[in-house]
Amino acid sequence: MKQFLHKGIFKIIAVVTLVFAGTASWAQYKISGTVIDQKGRPVRGASVSLDGTIDGSTTDSMGIFRFTTDEKGNQSIVATEVSHKNSGMPIVITGDMSGIVLKMGNNSSHELDQVTITAGAFNASDDANKTVLRPLDIVTTAGANADVVKAIETLPGTQQTGADNGLFVRGGDASEAAILVDEMVVQNAFFSGAPGVATRSRFGAFQYQGVSFSSGGYSAKYGQALSSVLELNSTDLPDKSTVNLGVNMAGIYASATKKWKNSAIDVGGNYNNLTPFYGIASTNFKFYNVPVGGGGNARYVWKPNKNGLLKVAVNASYITSGVGVPNPYTNEPDSLLTGNPAAEHFKNEGDTINFKTRDQNYYSNISYKQSWKNKYTLYTAASYSLDQTNNFFGDIPINEKDQRAQYRLELNTYINRKLSVLVGGEIQNFSIEKTFANIDSFKQSFTETQIAGYIEADWNPFYWLAIRPGVRYEHSALLNNDNIAPRLSMAIRTGDYSNVSLATGIFYQDANSTYLLVGARPGFQEAIHYIANWQWTKSDRTLRVEGYYKNYASLIRDFPTYYDPNAYRYILPSDRIDNSGHGYAQGLELFWRDRKTFKNVDYWISYSYIDTKRLYDNFPVAASPTFIANHNLNLVGKYFVQKWNTNFSATYTFASGRPYYNPDPTKAFLSETTKPFNNFAVTISYLHSFGKWFSVFYLSIDNITNSHNIFGYRYTYDNDTHKQVPSPIVPALYRSIFFGVNFSLTQFKKDEL
Amino acid sequence: MKKLILLTATAFTMMSAQAQDFKTVLTKTMSVFDTTMIPEVQVEYSNKISLISKKWDSEWAGHYYSAFSKAVLSYSEKDATKRDAYLDDADKELLDAVNILGKQTDETYVLGAMLANARMAVNPMLRYQKYGKIFSDDLEEAKELNPNNPRMYYLQGVSKFFTPKAFGGGKKNAQPYFEKAEGLFAKESSDDITKPYWGKYKNAYFLSQCKIEDKE
Repeated sequence: MKQFLHKGIFKIIAVVTLVFAGTASWAQYKISGTVIDQKGRPVRGASVSLDGTIDGSTTDSMGIFRFTTDEKGNQSIVATEVSHKNSGMPIVITGDMSGIVLKMGNNSSHELDQVTITAGAFNASDDANKTVLRPLDIVTTAGANADVVKAIETLPGTQQTGADNGLFVRGGDASEAAILVDEMVVQNAFFSGAPGVATRSRFGAFQYQGVSFSSGGYSAKYGQALSSVLELNSTDLPDKSTVNLGVNMAGIYASATKKWKNSAIDVGGNYNNLTPFYGIASTNFKFYNVPVGGGGNARYVWKPNKNGLLKVAVNASYITSGVGVPNPYTNEPDSLLTGNPAAEHFKNEGDTINFKTRDQNYYSNISYKQSWKNKYTLYTAASYSLDQTNNFFGDIPINEKDQRAQYRLELNTYINRKLSVLVGGEIQNFSIEKTFANIDSFKQSFTETQIAGYIEADWNPFYWLAIRPGVRYEHSALLNNDNIAPRLSMAIRTGDYSNVSLATGIFYQDANSTYLLVGARPGFQEAIHYIANWQWTKSDRTLRVEGYYKNYASLIRDFPTYYDPNAYRYILPSDRIDNSGHGYAQGLELFWRDRKTFKNVDYWISYSYIDTKRLYDNFPVAASPTFIANHNLNLVGKYFVQKWNTNFSATYTFASGRPYYNPDPTKAFLSETTKPFNNFAVTISYLHSFGKWFSVFYLSIDNITNSHNIFGYRYTYDNDTHKQVPSPIVPALYRSIFFGVNFSLTQFKKDEL
Repeated sequence: MKKLILLTATAFTMMSAQAQDFKTVLTKTMSVFDTTMIPEVQVEYSNKISLISKKWDSEWAGHYYSAFSKAVLSYSEKDATKRDAYLDDADKELLDAVNILGKQTDETYVLGAMLANARMAVNPMLRYQKYGKIFSDDLEEAKELNPNNPRMYYLQGVSKFFTPKAFGGGKKNAQPYFEKAEGLFAKESSDDITKPYWGKYKNAYFLSQCKIEDKE
């Protein structure tokens, strides 16, 4: 040991001596030249050096570099600059050198991103550069009032709603769009209300860190939605402990988050009373009981390790309201009413009938996600929801109880950087129980159990190509039926900033609960999607053009003796119900978003054209349904004035006229259309800090021009003239004003300093 | 035998060290970089630091300062793509530093927070949520390892300084952080470059700016 040490020291001394001896014979050489780009322009600020040494210099505005070195012989001279490709060449130094020219390629030293599939999909989250809408964008969209679904309706492919609940996508009705939270189906996504009065969805934007809207061609993970899937992902572990308080014209709310190192608890409660809101607006319906409700929620999030996350959430809410709705049976000629007990009962009740709602909704969800070394990701979730509605239609009680339990398990395996495979399965059990007038013979119910398995691969063989094939198998216990639904989507990069995406697939769905409740057990309804898009994205500007064709088959039809436009019409258990319906939808959609051209301005334009016809429901012939406007246009703009801490936002919506049913036998079925729909909404938010409390004051005005929008006509028989007289179907409100304030406190830590 | 190889290797390292000592060169370069406000000089010295980091590839401090200097360049650059490109390089350099150290230290966390803040500064409206979280998480981790790191408070102060008043920022709210940092900077020695001590000069500058506001 000691010997070695001595030897070592000798060696060091020897080497050091050598180095000093060498120094004398080293000469300094001057090296100079220029660095240019591919077009011959000088590159400024480039670092030029001899590789592996610190002999070098930085180029000036003429691209010129000069440095001296002690090195000689075979060397490499290299140039690096942050927005250019590295460049270099071998040189042999034997003396001073000048006139060296280094040519640098343009900015692609930073690897091009993997192309992603965008056909049919709009993603909103905080963690990707390619996202189109973010949670904050949703909150600041005028006219949406922080309702996620309402904000989604400013995107292409959707229809405006005003008298109905739901998301109507690409020719599909509300039942064809599934809404999911953390991959679990939300059973009653909208608050309960009276027929003809649209209500809010249950989702506020801040509970979700990501929103992904698919207007078709969605993943094999999901089924039971012929048109669309709206996925919401709840927030992970919050950043900080916070307290949040708010008051507005619809009520008051409070919530608090307590954060520990690896876990957090959220609790919240709200009381809603729409008296102030309806008080200053003129309503088109007579609310003899304004909507009043309340709710509470609690959530626990735990991060047991770096790559694991557990979420447990419970929600409870109730709402009551009473509104006078038009009597669908008033003055109908007797010949059309026989055999319909509801019609018999209400035909002489006058023009309006009091509709009273009392609804309780409970939802709970538990999910766990765990990754192992970027090799596997396991996700499992279970949910249970219960919705109990006690309605009164006039003096007739109508009670409904919906229950749903769901379990999902999936494993994603990352085989290598280019390929991952997702395998999963889910089971859902749900039931609806409905009673009329507390009469046993009018009691209807069904219970359905669906089992599904799916496999999907994400394959990115090259940075310019992404392919996602998948297949889903579904079994329905109620229908005693099975289906296999293949899906395929892909994307090809067509330039530095653009790509082309394609998507196709087969989608299946059970018949609507209306049919299942009367005991019908028809086969699955089916849709096939073909979608192609071209998307260009460059530094906060996005242009997207998408075209699609969608074929519907095996849609459910029933065959009453006459067409009844009433959505709540009475279907007799003895009616013929089968899968003989069919239809198509095709369209072209444009989306442009620009956050760059004007400072602090963000705006988007979406336009959709649709051509669709279908034969389903109790349609006598194929026609374009009443919820379809062929042209839809949305202009959304936001402007933040930093000096005033104020955000201005405005949304203009146009939709061409919608078909409505005119019972005049000389008119073709659903051939007439309403006048176009126009809505202009503005929201102003002012931000201010009171000490440690951060506050947002907001004022929104919907339908500023007080446009009298019409969603269709309802015909009633006039006994004096013996004619059918139209009365317009209108939203609950035309112009409305809403204001409120939100306070939040996040800086709890006194020990931060 | 192993020992002998090791010693021989040490000897060769010492030979090159003889010509240009890593610490000396880095200290000299950094001292210019940390005190200049002229953009051209910043680029020139950041380039020098990167050459040092490349030459002494196994020294964590070279990579650390290279990452730091690129973050500073990103702040003063106007073109958003270029700002991100600087930070892409900075991320790689910081990762190299952590890999050489074999663990995160309070200083690497603080620098991580600074890189996150620089990312956010490119587009605050869109990046606030993601990078704001990384910024505060990294500082929290740093604080656990060493509550007396002045750069932690300095960065928090800068972040407050540039946050609009309506969001709880502004000079008045930033001042206590710079004061806390100043006290801790005063206790810090600046004779070993591998024990980072950057920030004192700029902290004093920001603190003076805060005081101007107070007089108004």
